[in-house]
Amino acid sequence: MSTRLAKAIFWVGTLVSLAVFLAMTVHTHRSFDALTHADALDDHVVAGKRAFERHNCNDCHTILGFGAYYAPDLTRAYARLGEDAVRRRLEAPEVVFATSYRKMPQQHLAPNEIEDLVAFLRWVSNIDNHDWPPQDSPNRWKRSTERLLATATMTPAAALVQQENCLQCHALGGTGGTQGPRLEWIGGRRDAEYVARYLADPDAVSHGSRMPAYPNLSEGQRLMIGEFVVSLAADRRAP
Amino acid sequence: MTAVIYKSQRIAYWYFALALVLFALQIVVGLWIAAQYVVTVPQAVVDVFPFSTARAMHTNLLVLWLLLGFMGATFYLVPDEAQSELAWPKLAIVQLVVLAVTGVTALVGFFFGWTQGRPLLEIPTTLDFVVVAGALLFLANVGVTLYRARRWNAVQGTLLGGLVFLAGMYLFGMPFYRNLAVDWYYWWWVIHLWVEGAWELITAAVAAYMLLKLTGVDRKVVEKWLYVELGLFLFTGIAGTGHHYYWLGAPRAWLWIGGLFSALEPFPILLMVWDTWRAAKDHPGALRPRLTWVYIGGMAILHFVGAGLFGFAHTLPQINYYTHGSQVTVSHGHLAFYGAYALLNLSFFYFAIPRIKGLPGGRYDERAGHWGFWLTSLGVVGMSLAFGVAGVLQTYLERVRGEPYMIAQQPMRFWMMIVFAHGLIVLAGVIVTVTHLLTLKPERAAVVVPLDVPVPTSRAVGSA
Repeated sequence: MSTRLAKAIFWVGTLVSLAVFLAMTVHTHRSFDALTHADALDDHVVAGKRAFERHNCNDCHTILGFGAYYAPDLTRAYARLGEDAVRRRLEAPEVVFATSYRKMPQQHLAPNEIEDLVAFLRWVSNIDNHDWPPQDSPNRWKRSTERLLATATMTPAAALVQQENCLQCHALGGTGGTQGPRLEWIGGRRDAEYVARYLADPDAVSHGSRMPAYPNLSEGQRLMIGEFVVSLAADRRAP
Repeated sequence: MTAVIYKSQRIAYWYFALALVLFALQIVVGLWIAAQYVVTVPQAVVDVFPFSTARAMHTNLLVLWLLLGFMGATFYLVPDEAQSELAWPKLAIVQLVVLAVTGVTALVGFFFGWTQGRPLLEIPTTLDFVVVAGALLFLANVGVTLYRARRWNAVQGTLLGGLVFLAGMYLFGMPFYRNLAVDWYYWWWVIHLWVEGAWELITAAVAAYMLLKLTGVDRKVVEKWLYVELGLFLFTGIAGTGHHYYWLGAPRAWLWIGGLFSALEPFPILLMVWDTWRAAKDHPGALRPRLTWVYIGGMAILHFVGAGLFGFAHTLPQINYYTHGSQVTVSHGHLAFYGAYALLNLSFFYFAIPRIKGLPGGRYDERAGHWGFWLTSLGVVGMSLAFGVAGVLQTYLERVRGEPYMIAQQPMRFWMMIVFAHGLIVLAGVIVTVTHLLTLKPERAAVVVPLDVPVPTSRAVGSA
């Protein structure tokens, strides 16, 4: 190989790649507004991003999969946990994670910072990023709905969930509210007894919880709902 | 050449010494980070010294010591290649003090929550401007030296190009971006275009310089392969940035472009391995002291395995969809940074420090150095494999089966304990290496064969 050819390889290789990269950068900028719903990107969200950076959240959590890997990814945290649970984790992590083997620092956030962070996470959860991360993918929830329709709707527990209007606050499958955590997510982390105890007196199990208590249900009914919720886990653990 | 000719080359030593101390500190903080995955840290400790602070320290120490090493190497290499003293030797000292003070301020600041809050770019904007000032002093010093000497060659050109590229990309990490997706888009202009662009240029130039000096191979041959390597590095590396753009809210076309270009990234590294192997094979007499070659060989192999193979393993979008943002990334990150950039710096330190100290024949008592290399390297390899197992577990449990994060983390804790154990081995190795490098002693045997003028072999000339 001659030096001339070597130099040609250098220049052609570099410039071709650079041209592709810059052209794609222009294309990407043209697409960002639509993909990230930039119209919803208000000052509230920006203030939330600043708070997110001020408290160095990203050096424990990933967001869009980037950052440190010590704590759960935040891309779909708003959709997964619901607004209330997000707020509670920001307000009182030492209470929420009292029994967890991994802690989150109590950073004494101002109330407005918490609202900003919630707005930021709400906006992030709507970014169209080709359905990542897989564990929070709506496709998974759709499968969960199918499973539900195939088996669970006929059970008395499902009727209780319907009767007590749980989906007013909790998401389940492709429907429900965003105040509380998604029911499939609860099912993956907790057992039926825990859910039953929680239903009896949420504040006793998790101090400060805003969920109403269900003393009107019998112990057996609460346990039934617990078993129902555990059965909904996105991908049930092997027995 | 076994002793420095130009006085200003000696400044490099102080850059190396500071870099080595920071390296050791980085490993200590790293051990604390690993421990936090294994044991439960009490809330009271977490409130004062959270994981995030330690992680900011760990990564910034890495960047700082590697950059100090690059700068030291530049100050050693440039006078020799330009055949003249540095334009402003005292400015090089001032620059070191400025960067050292900035670094210490940043590290202490993290402890008090003074941060820009973006991973790896945590240094607050105010300090960013000091870093930029330090970088400008550096580029001016090197640029003027080279300009005055007017002895341009490919090694100098590559090095200077790499340094300007490095400094330029830093600017994209400084502004505040309103949109998180845009923020990450340009964050990668700093991080990816550093490690798979600018830093590769610097590595290629420094490695080419070392091979030239150690083997005396024909410069034309080295420069020719340098062009080809760099062409391939930049061809795959620039558009290969796209492998970070799959899931951040960018157009779907990145899945194709990022996947295709980055899948080719192992090839230029393979060419570098072949280059090193050829240089070693063609110049068996030049393989002294052996430790230099252990380092250069280790760098070639672990650069290829860590950056090339471990990178390729999860660069395709079909796989990356499940591995993105898991401990798989951590596994790749540790082995790649060690193999490519930690070992390059350490190789150069072992090349330059004996010459700066004027040890006869560039030789030294190298026994402890071998212990240092093997302990550190085996420690990092073992650590990366343990991270890899943890990452595969996470990928399967969390991403494929959909188990909640903390449930999936539970079985990973055992493997983080294995990581910690290997971290102890790395720390032992690094302490041996740092002590050894800072206290190099002349070889015990009195007979020293001078290697001042290596004879180019006919083979090297013939293949030109």
